[in-house]
Amino acid sequence: MEKKIRIYGRTEYPGKVTAEALVSPMPLQGFTNVDPARGCTTERNHPLFGISYEGKVLVFPSPRGSGGFLKYGKGRKPAAFIHTVASPLNVLCCLYAHVPSMTDFEKDPLDYIETGDIVFVNADEGYIEITKKG
Amino acid sequence: MTTVKLTDEEKRMLNGEAGKVAQICMEALVEMAEIAGAENLVDLDGTGDMHTPGLEITPYHKITIEDLRELVAAGGRFKIPTFANKSPFPEQPPIDGWEQCNICAYRQPENRHDDPEFHKKALHEEEFELLKKMGMLTSQSCANYLTMTYWPTIGQHCSWFESSQIPYCNAILGARTNFDGCFATCFLGKAPNYGMHITENRYGRILVKTDRLIQTDLEWDVFGYAVGCEVRCSVPVLTGTAKPNTTQLQKFNSAIHTGGAVQMYHIPGTTPEAPTLEFAFGGRKPEREVLIGERELRAAYEYLNYHTSDVVDMVYLGCPHLNIVDLMRLARKLEGKKVKVPLWIMTAPWLYNAAKEQGYVKIFADAGATLLSGACLAAMGAVPEGVRCIAVDSAKQANYITGCYPEPDKMLEVCYGTTDECIDAALTGHWRGEWR
Repeated sequence: MEKKIRIYGRTEYPGKVTAEALVSPMPLQGFTNVDPARGCTTERNHPLFGISYEGKVLVFPSPRGSGGFLKYGKGRKPAAFIHTVASPLNVLCCLYAHVPSMTDFEKDPLDYIETGDIVFVNADEGYIEITKKG
Repeated sequence: MTTVKLTDEEKRMLNGEAGKVAQICMEALVEMAEIAGAENLVDLDGTGDMHTPGLEITPYHKITIEDLRELVAAGGRFKIPTFANKSPFPEQPPIDGWEQCNICAYRQPENRHDDPEFHKKALHEEEFELLKKMGMLTSQSCANYLTMTYWPTIGQHCSWFESSQIPYCNAILGARTNFDGCFATCFLGKAPNYGMHITENRYGRILVKTDRLIQTDLEWDVFGYAVGCEVRCSVPVLTGTAKPNTTQLQKFNSAIHTGGAVQMYHIPGTTPEAPTLEFAFGGRKPEREVLIGERELRAAYEYLNYHTSDVVDMVYLGCPHLNIVDLMRLARKLEGKKVKVPLWIMTAPWLYNAAKEQGYVKIFADAGATLLSGACLAAMGAVPEGVRCIAVDSAKQANYITGCYPEPDKMLEVCYGTTDECIDAALTGHWRGEWR
């Protein structure tokens, strides 16, 4: 049987979804540095530059910069947001995205999730479950 | 039912007993509070900053122009003094100097900012007039604190927007705001009660040291960016710096909320909630200490520079909007000179008129430079056609302007340095800036 890792956290926006993870080791920035029409970050030198997050569980340490971070919640948006530290920028993003979003975990999800892992985000019951990629 | 604790008055608003607009606003605030994990709402006694888009609080909480007409006719007013942040509309038209602004909003060819028809449309006159009747003050700046002439005082609860203004409100003015200024908070005079509204969250957590005395405008800008990158959403306590002046505070606040999402910081002996180092930390030990010294500053400076060529096509100053002393100094430096490449200077609309009376607008025009107000190049989403490399003196603008051109064959290059290096680039068309 596959080993699943379950981590409890705080729900920002409810819902349940299972999708592949896209992990950003760096904080994410919005405003001009995200393109909702293509669903990717446009921040120069960013590890996720040009990589589509549409339909993925987007995992990142924290947001930074402009209130235009809410643009991650528009257009070709992720299936869910998982981030280590909460900021009012995440609140703005959730208001737009209306997809499951969680933060303030008992353990840092970035230590457990890699890009390509399958993550079940159960924001209704306050946990995520990670299935490592084969 | 919501888990947010509401007063009876707030419940009546949520039920629609105080009218449709109040209900939409209350629904939006309750949703914000739920997401943020706020227990209740706080009554605002400070000021509000209304950001674009005005009537769309969220995609699920929209007020129509008909709603607004009815509200205004019935005497609806903003509950707190409310200032407009840049244009409250998505096109982001400059207020002054738009005739010289030969760019297409968000790179859409039909939306030229220097086209009178587009400009008129972008001003959304009816909606704007209605918002003014509700009390919205047309300061229209990312640095509203420069011209609002009515500052919140220590401990007052505010609802501001704009990344650079959040730390300015919290750290410099000692007032309390999260990042939530909008129609709903300003109209109801309420905001979710969490984060910066709560004393406990305002204490320092990370001790920042430096081995280079932070004293020039550029040093404060680079320092802000580097500290933001390092501490992210935390509350840093800065030691080892000189005392910042107004220009430097503007730069630092915009840079620290670009490199990171720092809402609050302390400079012991300088900022109001940090009479001493111990007080800044609320009597606790720092979680950690970091050094933002020569090496880190240089790395940030190099990260902010993004160019392969030293040929500059355009220079942009005024991110955040220039204060009147900046404009005076700039006029002094440009008097009798002639720029070789376009030099755009951005300020707040209420300062544009002061600059005009002082004779600066004419000095800039005679030098071939353009003074604009009330907008932002990155927010307009484009640079003039043909510009491949732009020079700026702002970490914030350097960081955002390239995002408008993410295609590999169209990437915009940025030269970042001091204001004097930018002026030199405007006069010569070449970049000669370096880290000193």
